[in-house]
Amino acid sequence: MEEQVKQRGKLILAIETSCDETSVALVEDGRKIRANIISSQVPLHRKYGGVVPEIASRKHIENVLPVLEECLTEAGVTLDDIDGIGVTYGPGLVGALLVGVSAAKALAFSLGVPLIGVHHLEGHIFANFLENEQLEPPFVALVVSGGHTALVHVKDYSTFELLGETRDDAVGEAFDKVARILGLPYPGGPEVERLAKEGDPDAIPFPKALCEKGSFEFSFSGLKSAVLNYHNSKKMKNEEINPADVAASFQSAALDVLVAKTMQAMEVCGVKQLVLAGGVAANTMLREKLTEAAAQKGIAFSYPNKILCTDNAAMIACRAHYLYEEGRFADLHLNGVPSLPLGKR
Amino acid sequence: MMILAIDTSTRVSSVALVEDGRVVAELNQDTRLTHSERLMPQIKQLLDMAEKTSRDLTAIAVSIGPGSFTGLRIGMATAKTMAYALRIPIVGVPTLDALAWNCPLDGVHLVPMLDAQKGNVYTARYRFENGEMIVEESAVVRPFTEAVEQLRAFGEPCLVVGERQAIRDASILTGNVRQAPPHLFAPRAASVALYAEARLANGQADDVIELEPLYIRRAEAEVLWEKRHGKQA
Repeated sequence: MEEQVKQRGKLILAIETSCDETSVALVEDGRKIRANIISSQVPLHRKYGGVVPEIASRKHIENVLPVLEECLTEAGVTLDDIDGIGVTYGPGLVGALLVGVSAAKALAFSLGVPLIGVHHLEGHIFANFLENEQLEPPFVALVVSGGHTALVHVKDYSTFELLGETRDDAVGEAFDKVARILGLPYPGGPEVERLAKEGDPDAIPFPKALCEKGSFEFSFSGLKSAVLNYHNSKKMKNEEINPADVAASFQSAALDVLVAKTMQAMEVCGVKQLVLAGGVAANTMLREKLTEAAAQKGIAFSYPNKILCTDNAAMIACRAHYLYEEGRFADLHLNGVPSLPLGKR
Repeated sequence: MMILAIDTSTRVSSVALVEDGRVVAELNQDTRLTHSERLMPQIKQLLDMAEKTSRDLTAIAVSIGPGSFTGLRIGMATAKTMAYALRIPIVGVPTLDALAWNCPLDGVHLVPMLDAQKGNVYTARYRFENGEMIVEESAVVRPFTEAVEQLRAFGEPCLVVGERQAIRDASILTGNVRQAPPHLFAPRAASVALYAEARLANGQADDVIELEPLYIRRAEAEVLWEKRHGKQA
């Protein structure tokens, strides 16, 4: 009798519960998504104007097994087919992280397969490997989301140099705050972008905080305050405000800084490949501006599709696959780390 | 029947292995490590001690609350996922019920008290008749001192079990209201397992997907929002 040979590659199951999406995914050989189920809690948090940690944690414990089951069903595999378990262990909301970490540890232990702890932002960067099969390091990644704004030099699959990050607000946070000033619903990013399409980006000269030349740090709290001051002073003088112009001018100021710093980083690192990652990577204007700037300098530029920009477990599974290849496993003491630094071991 | 039981509802982390009414092994920890760090290694250590593997388990029992919200979720995410992965039944045990099972004796009223923050306790009252548990008062949140005063007025012998942090003033636990000695006082997974064993014998397992923590209290943000906006969402 001929022995049955496993026809498939290495199968990693990953869990992501760092903020307000419960996600479970199965990825084969690091690049092929077999299933990527995301259960979003956005409608639940909308009335609070932001994510409420305790409510998010409660929803994760309700959702994690149904989402796991849906993922297995969609991929047509059973738990016995899985070679390793990846999980986001930071950064994020600690109570939310712990639901995923606990479930992942229980799965790995019960199935007798390795456990792999994944940094959430490294996951966002690795979403690009799922989108672009030809992509290989080295490259520079611009990571932009509600919690993070960072430039990272990805030298190979395991060496990340943090070039700089935000000193205060993340860019996504600035979008959310400006949305609140303009009376737009949560989450504000897509709302500001929609409104900005109808406005003039040069109408109001908001400051562009470039910090010092050669520094890759960002600052968005000044820009947010400038929008707030503009809004308040207009109101005080009873002058009319054009919200579309405010949105467009704010967005343009914020994105111009991101593009300028990113292009400086490309030069300093001397690489010819740029990738975009994180929730704000879904912003069409940012994609267009970076595409244009990259083309001028002969730089290859790629970004994930919108589903892979949001928090999802497929990107975590992709990152976990490469950690698995290097034998970098976590033990059963793995804890959630709310402010896990990037690139440190 | 080989039951793994987990209780992480308080700062004490307790796991036990019970086989056909016999406590094979139990590990109780009240250390500085978080539940998240110690629970899974503790389960592994327990199984190693008993020379068993996860495949030998035939059911999981878990303390579902009330208690620390995060502690409950760590215990329940672990218990639910293990039951799901191992395809074995799960039984959720209310923490106050399990605490009463620490001392299932006739002739005394069992009063579990768990910390509910700001001087409050989650509490209930039980008694046992021929080994059968009777709920005299189901779970409520009330100030610690008020809870003790009520027991005092009740007059019958009461044994307080539960969580150290809930006992704001041990000096008022006198007369008919006494605090149980330390080895009977805190949550113990063996109690959770024995309670679950009785339920499993009656065919009362829970649905692994549906089983949720028994928080008793809603999230604070939700309560505040309703105060400001009224009940309609």
